[in-house]
Amino acid sequence: MRRLTEFLAGALFGLGLWLSGMTDTVKVQGFLDLLGAWDPTLAFVMGGAMLPMAAAWALAAGRTRAVLGAPLPGPARRDIGPDLILGSVLFGAGWALVGLCPGPALASLTYPGTRLAGLVFLVAMCGGMLAAKPLRARFAAPLQGSLMDIRHLTPDYAVSPQITPEDLPTLQALGFTTVINNRPDGEIPAALSTEVMKAAAEALGLTFVINPIRPGDFSDTVLATQGAAIATGKVFAYCASGNRSSCAWALSTPEDLDIDARIAIPAEHGYNLEPLRAMIAARVG
Amino acid sequence: MPTDWIWGLVGGLMIGTAGAAFLLLNGRIMGVTGVLGGLVDGTERRGALPFLAGLILAPALAAALWGGQSHLTGNLSLVALAGVLVGFGTRLANGCTSGHGVCGMSRLAPRGILASLTYILAGALVMAVLRQGLGVL
Repeated sequence: MRRLTEFLAGALFGLGLWLSGMTDTVKVQGFLDLLGAWDPTLAFVMGGAMLPMAAAWALAAGRTRAVLGAPLPGPARRDIGPDLILGSVLFGAGWALVGLCPGPALASLTYPGTRLAGLVFLVAMCGGMLAAKPLRARFAAPLQGSLMDIRHLTPDYAVSPQITPEDLPTLQALGFTTVINNRPDGEIPAALSTEVMKAAAEALGLTFVINPIRPGDFSDTVLATQGAAIATGKVFAYCASGNRSSCAWALSTPEDLDIDARIAIPAEHGYNLEPLRAMIAARVG
Repeated sequence: MPTDWIWGLVGGLMIGTAGAAFLLLNGRIMGVTGVLGGLVDGTERRGALPFLAGLILAPALAAALWGGQSHLTGNLSLVALAGVLVGFGTRLANGCTSGHGVCGMSRLAPRGILASLTYILAGALVMAVLRQGLGVL
């Protein structure tokens, strides 16, 4: 079923490119030729495409899963780096040279008359994509410079094992506004103690919530604190493995999720909450 | 032609509907750079082949039945240069007209809007210099 819908989405996309004229390089170059005989068609295509797409984002906003079960994408990234600008400049230049971008290059691959050139473009484009791989890794490095392993349970709540102060700017760039520490200080190395993390987080303007959980000890106070923090916006919680932060979420999140979802979502990230089923049921009702 | 914008709008609606289905059914962002690039460099192969097969085969069939022309230049060195720039640039920027443009701008993503403004301006500048200025394109 997933493969069928993937195929159909690709097919409808391709037909839309064909019908709209976007597989015709003359029309694309005409749009970019502002000083010449300007062709506005591309603007209508982009506008038309954004209408259903904006509706889809609105529909996706309150959900964590796509219809066929896969997780929906997390919130849009907000970090703007030289890779975004430089890459877009190079792309725009290449786009103007012959009038092809990646989608139409594939959609027009077998059109009569231009098969050899279309194939040359595709091979060169794939080569360019491969060549960008090491540079992508380098630009991604400052962002993911730590070993931080962010696991999104919902678009607005993520967990991970212990983080460091160097991770906090990344979390901020990703749009998180609140960080919860679910580890008691006794188990944390001094360099990463609650006090150190709190100072670093607050220096960035992040809200830092101290909510230590001893393994298995999900008291009403702990859960009330976690639930209240979760309700404040985009929240990131950490403990030793992310397990306690996941359990506390399942037991306290104000979101309208049934018991099975509260267990199944953390399970996707390797957290087994089955032993807590009765406790979750008692709280969710 | 005066009716071109209508076909553009209708085709655009189809493109957006495809993106909406890809998101809501499969949980994926319909960005060709991400799908193709992930397949090429092996970082994300999930779902790429069926999507790309549809993207190539459907317009191939439509063009065979009702006609379609890409008017792509036969200057192979220019095509190769453009291909490298497009592949390298889109992958470095993490998106192209579909991912940053259609999918990103429609959720008001700052990166999508900035990237789209940048590649359109860069393209317009290249056009202005090479076609209107030097007359070589």
